[in-house]
Amino acid sequence: MSQRSSRVRNVFLPLELTAVAELWGSRFGIPVEAFSGYRFFKKANSIWAISDVELPRLSYEAIGMRIMNCKDRPWKPTTAALQVFGKYAARNLVHLDADCARVFLEGKSQEVDEAAAMECEPGYVVVFYRGEVLGCGLYSHGLLVSQIPKERRLASREE
Amino acid sequence: MDFLDRYRDIVPDFKAFRAIQSRPLFSSARINTLKIEREVLLERLTEEAVPYRRFDWYPLGLKIDVESPGKLVENLLGHIHIQEELSMVPPLVLGPMPGELILDLCASPGSKTTQISAMMENRGLVIANEPSLARVAALRSNCERLGAMNVAITRYDGRNFPRGSFDRVLVDAPCSAEGRERRGPGVIERSNCKRSLDLSVLQVGLLKNAIRLTKPGGVVVYSTCTYAPEENEMVVSAALNEITKSNESDEAEEPTKAHLESVVIPGLQECPGISLWNGRDLGREMSLSARYYPHMNDTGGFFVAKIIKS
Repeated sequence: MSQRSSRVRNVFLPLELTAVAELWGSRFGIPVEAFSGYRFFKKANSIWAISDVELPRLSYEAIGMRIMNCKDRPWKPTTAALQVFGKYAARNLVHLDADCARVFLEGKSQEVDEAAAMECEPGYVVVFYRGEVLGCGLYSHGLLVSQIPKERRLASREE
Repeated sequence: MDFLDRYRDIVPDFKAFRAIQSRPLFSSARINTLKIEREVLLERLTEEAVPYRRFDWYPLGLKIDVESPGKLVENLLGHIHIQEELSMVPPLVLGPMPGELILDLCASPGSKTTQISAMMENRGLVIANEPSLARVAALRSNCERLGAMNVAITRYDGRNFPRGSFDRVLVDAPCSAEGRERRGPGVIERSNCKRSLDLSVLQVGLLKNAIRLTKPGGVVVYSTCTYAPEENEMVVSAALNEITKSNESDEAEEPTKAHLESVVIPGLQECPGISLWNGRDLGREMSLSARYYPHMNDTGGFFVAKIIKS
């Protein structure tokens, strides 16, 4: 039975662009046009994006990039996806200076001042350094928790 | 390293070839144009005092002289990808264009897959095939880090990859990896002919299927990072011969024809593939393939053949 259910969960189901764009638009103010040129799929709790091409009839292990995880509420954008779509974000952004960017890339939590976290609502934010997206952070009450995946973190300087 | 002796008659300046094996190779990296412009990246490296030198032959290739290049922030952010110098050759020979349909039959860890994706500017589709689930993890991780958005991953045994009509197919085959000695000493010590012959059965199967999956006029590139002719020219020769033979036995189908085209990368010195090995005639055509030796370009070792399906 478990084998059967896992097979069912492994199906990639096509997803409307508007459904995806609406979520990113409401949290980050990313315009719907940023997502044209891609196709979207849902598999289990994840949503995937791939360049807009016809896919040959094959059995797929992965289709493009995993862009969001919908397992918990609120949904969580992946760092990889923010590095592609995050540059179009208009709200819930944090701009870091060089030292804070380093702490963020080391995967650590830090206090950020109000100037850096311009009117962020609590939740996931796009973290920038010198105008470029570093990845996903979790912001709440002045604290920024890095969501950089372990294998993509900078080695800590103190260690 | 007596095993290398078997290559005495085919490698020019054999003494230098043998001597360089014990000299370690610098790390190298490819600039990922999907995420950053070359000039901006070079400025960043200079700013951060990362010592690098550009390749003479490829504008996106860099030699990087640091201990753990994988831990550079540029690598973690996907602006560069740590990749062997000669591993950048097969995608260039393949020549993918934006909008095409490409198959990378033995894809993990995805260095060449993502280079192909960058050459296509994320337009069109790359099917990256990798049977091993463990190796798929590395492939996925690299594609995501580098922002390759036109890659879909499958997990077929490459010999049985079911169907398709691809513009170009890359077979960067599993091999005995003798050309990696300078990066991981001990490879050659562990090499033996039996292993090469075992691998060649798999390699011929992969290449034959790759040719089948390519559309007429399409390109197949077969590459390995080893010197053993059993895994290189003998594989290409056997695959081409077997295709011709199956044409004779199966009259109903349109006959499949394929021929080699020469492999030349300006700025890199190659040797022609060999046509004769241990008394076996592999066909003069094999000289159109390219052998890259470590002492000629200060690199690792590689073999590349370009096949056109007619």
